[in-house]
Amino acid sequence: MNSTSYQACPECDLLIDLVQPEIGEKIHCPRCGLLLLRPRKQSIERTFALSIAGLILFVPANFLPMVGITLLGKANTGILLSGVISLFNENMWPVSIVVFLASILFPLAHISLSLLISGHLYFNRCNRNLVSWMRWMHHLDEWVMLEVYMLSIIVACVKLMAISPLIIGWGLYAFIALIIVTALLTSSLDKELFWQRIEQLSRDNNHAS
Amino acid sequence: MRAKQCALKQGFINCHDCGYLVKITQQLSSCPRCHSHLHERKPHSLQRTCALLLSSFFLYIPANIFPIMTVTQFGTGDAHTIAGGIIELIDGGMIPIGLLVLVASILVPSSKLIGISLLLLSVHFRWKINARRWTFMYRVIAFIGRWSMLDIFMISILVDLVDFTGVQIIAGPAAIAFAAVVILTMFAAENFDPRLLWDNQ
Ligand SMILES: [Zn+2]
Ligand SMILES: [Zn+2]
Repeated sequence: MNSTSYQACPECDLLIDLVQPEIGEKIHCPRCGLLLLRPRKQSIERTFALSIAGLILFVPANFLPMVGITLLGKANTGILLSGVISLFNENMWPVSIVVFLASILFPLAHISLSLLISGHLYFNRCNRNLVSWMRWMHHLDEWVMLEVYMLSIIVACVKLMAISPLIIGWGLYAFIALIIVTALLTSSLDKELFWQRIEQLSRDNNHAS
Repeated sequence: MRAKQCALKQGFINCHDCGYLVKITQQLSSCPRCHSHLHERKPHSLQRTCALLLSSFFLYIPANIFPIMTVTQFGTGDAHTIAGGIIELIDGGMIPIGLLVLVASILVPSSKLIGISLLLLSVHFRWKINARRWTFMYRVIAFIGRWSMLDIFMISILVDLVDFTGVQIIAGPAAIAFAAVVILTMFAAENFDPRLLWDNQ
């Protein structure tokens, strides 16, 4: 039995004899319905381009003011990091660290890793760290919470509108663009293809040396 | 697509990290593709999930009793619990937003706690269940968990913006407990292995 044509469903352990799907096709597990494979068109190229775009957008999204309010003649605007710092100064450091990780560090790490991996695959460069980068990225997936943060901005704005007029800054537009880019990035990244390419690259490299 | 069989019973282990299918042999302990440790099922899945779940149940009490934030206006403080903040939103006529916060901060965490408890009980006592439906429930629980962070992020925004001489918003102790509940239940869902639901069938 050649194990490469077989796959097991990660959620019900059904052994499936897979026919490599066409681009745009979706393969679901016949027993539990989990989406198993969804090959994307030009997955590596798109992931590479979107990672660069995401990394560029990360700068204005983090350093330009997002929203602000005016109260008693004084204006206050905030960025992602200033919320973290305010919580830290109130001795709420456990919460402040959680917010920092989920809204700044993990998104940055996730985009950087996908840039590194797709860049190496795009230029056919072999690197022995590729495997650990892939695993890191896989474990970070769930902890990137930009879209949840976006919803919190909306709720906070509704609450604040009751007490003061809102100031919308360029940082917010950059942040929205960043969320769109990360969503596209997640959908264009075909993990199975990436793993196969990494395996192939390291095999070619071993033959060459 | 044929062979409706459990991969483990056929002598294969599915790698947790990269999804590579590995034939079980005696000398192989790590995945040939990603070098992560191979396990038949997530290690100590039930014990770990149970420990994380019990800690979240325990922390869920202070998260709901203590104030999550305090609004100070010219010396007088007004403390809100999670439920208090939602009631205030709905009283103020902001019903859709109030309902959104109700779902994210109360319905999602409590249904997650109950859902993971049911999953654990059903595996432990080998209940006769519709595994497909329960796997779907597991998937919903794993998906919705992160959205409970809504309240925590909102507090960080409010604390940062409403900071004037005279008017201030300060985070309360419940924020730490609530953030811990959200993270612990996320870890609990991650440690639960849905394949255990199928092994009992
Ligand atoms: Zn399945
Ligand atoms: Zn692996």
